[in-house]
Amino acid sequence: MKNVVKAEEGEIFDIELDFNILEANRKLATENKKLLQKNGIKAIDVMGSIGSGKTSLIEKLVHRLKGKYRMAAFKGDLTTTIDAELIARHGVDVVPINTGKECHLDANLIKKALKRINLKDINLLFIENVGNLICPAEFPLGSDKRIVVVSVTEGPYMVVKHPFIFMDADVVVINKVDLAQAMGVDVKKLKKDAKAINPKAKVVATNCRSGEGVANVIEALDL
Amino acid sequence: MHEFSVTSQIVEAILKEAEKHSAKKVVEVHLDVGKLTFLGLEQVRFSYEVLVKGTIMEGSKLRIEEKDGIVKCSSCGYKGDFQYEDDPIYHIPTPTLHCPKCGETVEIVGGRECTIRDVKLLIDEGGKTNAN
Repeated sequence: MKNVVKAEEGEIFDIELDFNILEANRKLATENKKLLQKNGIKAIDVMGSIGSGKTSLIEKLVHRLKGKYRMAAFKGDLTTTIDAELIARHGVDVVPINTGKECHLDANLIKKALKRINLKDINLLFIENVGNLICPAEFPLGSDKRIVVVSVTEGPYMVVKHPFIFMDADVVVINKVDLAQAMGVDVKKLKKDAKAINPKAKVVATNCRSGEGVANVIEALDL
Repeated sequence: MHEFSVTSQIVEAILKEAEKHSAKKVVEVHLDVGKLTFLGLEQVRFSYEVLVKGTIMEGSKLRIEEKDGIVKCSSCGYKGDFQYEDDPIYHIPTPTLHCPKCGETVEIVGGRECTIRDVKLLIDEGGKTNAN
């Protein structure tokens, strides 16, 4: 066997790289944002836990805003187009984005999806992220506003257990409030928890099945 | 959760750089990781070990420097560390967007980076070899 390769002083070169891996995504996000703005499109990134009601919220928003905006939606999921079809029922263009195994959408996937729609046809875009209260926060997509959805069926500690994603939220939606009593969850406490982390976030309680509170979400998004 | 994919981008970028310099071996890698990223350093190290196997990066030293989060307040001009949530329910210091000085909302200006600061490469000059 040959001897181990050992580095000798003087043969080692220190190369300064200063290469920010996460910055690559941020740069793409900025490009996406510019492209959207150039076309007069507002984009809303809907993040939140699995089963919290992100799709139901988008359905209700699309339904209510139909007369006012020309809309499209991107729907991120590991696999399937089940939720994408739910949104498409409302007569809007939906681009399903299957991430395979990745736990979040990223700016590159959005860049690709933006090529699939006619940007001249719309002025409002909903982007539903993969259900996850951790990773999506690390990857801005180029949206104007970010919503984080949690629901009372996830228990009383969803905000305190995942504080970081709430720092990136413009609007926090607490969904399924009709079940709060049955779940023994205090909605006021959840609101307080969100405000403690991010005082600038607008916090709205909803029931996305009945539509309760959806008008307040529209208001919070300035739509 | 996405340490593996981020680390594979790091390894890919370094291998590319090493190739550019016709390096024989990558000896050391220096990363800066912001405390506000969602990157677990233990998982980054584990992914690194797995990913460098069989490449010229195998056996290289991975040095990770953690970078503090920095906020800026547009109301009072404060720039520095966060105000942390003091609820005992949190077992790790949980930063908030309240200004520690005036209580207004602050903006995050640092602590979200994951940067390859520099790499040390073993470069074989003029066909000289280090192995016998």
